Amino acid sequence: MIDAKAEIVGNVWKILAREGDQVGPGDPLVILETMKMEIPVVAPAHGHVASVLVSEGQIVQEGDPVVEIDDTLGA
Amino acid sequence: MPHVSHDRLTTQTTDSVSAPRASLDQRRRERFARVEPRGARVHTARERAELLLDEGTFVELAPLKSAQSGAGSGVVTGWGLVDGRPVVVACHDAAIASGAIGAVMAAAICRAQRFAIDSGFPIVYVNDSGGARVPDGIHALHGCGEIFALNVEAQQRIPQISVILGPCAGAAAYSPALTDWTIMVKGHGHMFLTGPDIVRAATGEDATADEIGGSGMHTRTSGVAHLEVETEVDALQSVRHLLSYLPSNTEARLPVGDPVPVNPRSADALPTVVPEKASVVFDMRAVVDGVLDNGARLELMPEHAGSALTLFGRIDGRPVGVVANQPAVRGGILDSKTSVKIARFVEFCGRFGIPIVTLVDVPGFLPGTVEEGRGIITHGAKVLKAYVEAKKSMRLTVVVRKAYGGAYIAMGSTSLGADHAWAWSNAEIAVMGPGGAVGLLHRRALAAADDPGALRDELAGEYRENVARPFLAAEAGIIEDVIHPEETRDRLVSAMRLLEHR
Repeated sequence: MIDAKAEIVGNVWKILAREGDQVGPGDPLVILETMKMEIPVVAPAHGHVASVLVSEGQIVQEGDPVVEIDDTLGA
Repeated sequence: MPHVSHDRLTTQTTDSVSAPRASLDQRRRERFARVEPRGARVHTARERAELLLDEGTFVELAPLKSAQSGAGSGVVTGWGLVDGRPVVVACHDAAIASGAIGAVMAAAICRAQRFAIDSGFPIVYVNDSGGARVPDGIHALHGCGEIFALNVEAQQRIPQISVILGPCAGAAAYSPALTDWTIMVKGHGHMFLTGPDIVRAATGEDATADEIGGSGMHTRTSGVAHLEVETEVDALQSVRHLLSYLPSNTEARLPVGDPVPVNPRSADALPTVVPEKASVVFDMRAVVDGVLDNGARLELMPEHAGSALTLFGRIDGRPVGVVANQPAVRGGILDSKTSVKIARFVEFCGRFGIPIVTLVDVPGFLPGTVEEGRGIITHGAKVLKAYVEAKKSMRLTVVVRKAYGGAYIAMGSTSLGADHAWAWSNAEIAVMGPGGAVGLLHRRALAAADDPGALRDELAGEYRENVARPFLAAEAGIIEDVIHPEETRDRLVSAMRLLEHR
């Protein structure tokens, strides 16, 4: 398991990822809204989305896990 | 300290001067036969100096200088050429007492530093040293302090570049920190106050050498080093590349190359690079590619504080330092680390008169308890100071999208002394962003509105058109002109050509 983390404090504006989605490095999972900017939280590795740990409208801090990715091969 | 043996060596050398030149060369070759590098090292200290310099140009300073007869001083110092320009080098010799800095080695390094400062030549320190040489006691400490003092004196005159090709502990880590740019080799370059064993003894923390002071730690997290490379040869090539943008000293002319046109595909893409919606991120590198000469770039601190870019490139063949917000990383915000990164780069360019091109799209300084706690006011002020003090540099600024509030001022505004500033026609320059401004200016109307959301959007749109558009700034003379993206390069080139006559 590997976490996609928020790089910056912000408000969860849109959740794009759904549990079970196949994702690759750089794929946007969640969009945060900070300083009037739409800042994507991206997948750190290949895998599938194990769980989305936040809900829309929630405030996250820098470093908070946002989406959990199952990166085990063949899973 | 054992200076006696040094005297004896000098006498021997004097005797041999009367002998045929070939004989002397032969004896030198024998005395300094290749000492095999230890551990992961690929090249000896002398080979590192030779790899850095143009082939066949290395001239060693005091090659016989030794603490004990024939042992060498622990450092190979000398000078040679890089692309035809003189550069001084000091390469720690890890084959001698692990490159530990004793009194004799420190004296040899200080001599090279003095020579570089007095001659006005850049100096490159190739570091590979366990730190102060303990048997030399306080003489070693004193010698290290003398190196530091000359590092500081050199800052006012010549570029100093450090390469970390092995462990650099304690005193050996501080000298690089007093130089301008530090390049580390992945895996075997380390910088730390003390290594894992002493850390464990001192605080109980259990950490590897890489975790404490590897290239990943210093080029991503701490910002102590500015470039991470894969091999020794890559590191030395990076030094040559970096030197190609720098004058030899603070009084010397910039190294001007042949003008190279912009990449035509990047130039064609320029008008559509910036998304119309101010909240949508994009990669500022596309703007950089659309205005700079096609070809080599050297980005410093690429992995640290990524919401700002700092890189060297060329415009019309002339070196420029580019500072840019990077919306693709954390929205391009300014925070404490970004401010330190920008301030350091601008200060360096200013010291050597390297033109500074600032590309602006910044949502602001990141507010809140975390950043205030990190001292963002102090660090942000360093950016202001660096731009104001960079008077030797031509300072050219282009606002490509948003420039609000304090961040507008900080990003190379004319108020801080920019020679010219331009804004793209869709840019927004204002004291604050539309959302915040509308909330402040129309608080009562919004409170009384049936649909505050709709009114807010309408007022924000009006604010964007009537207050934030860059024509107001141009009418006020705060920016030079409002331009189309595709005009940017021509404006920069014509300004750069004035440099010849400054």
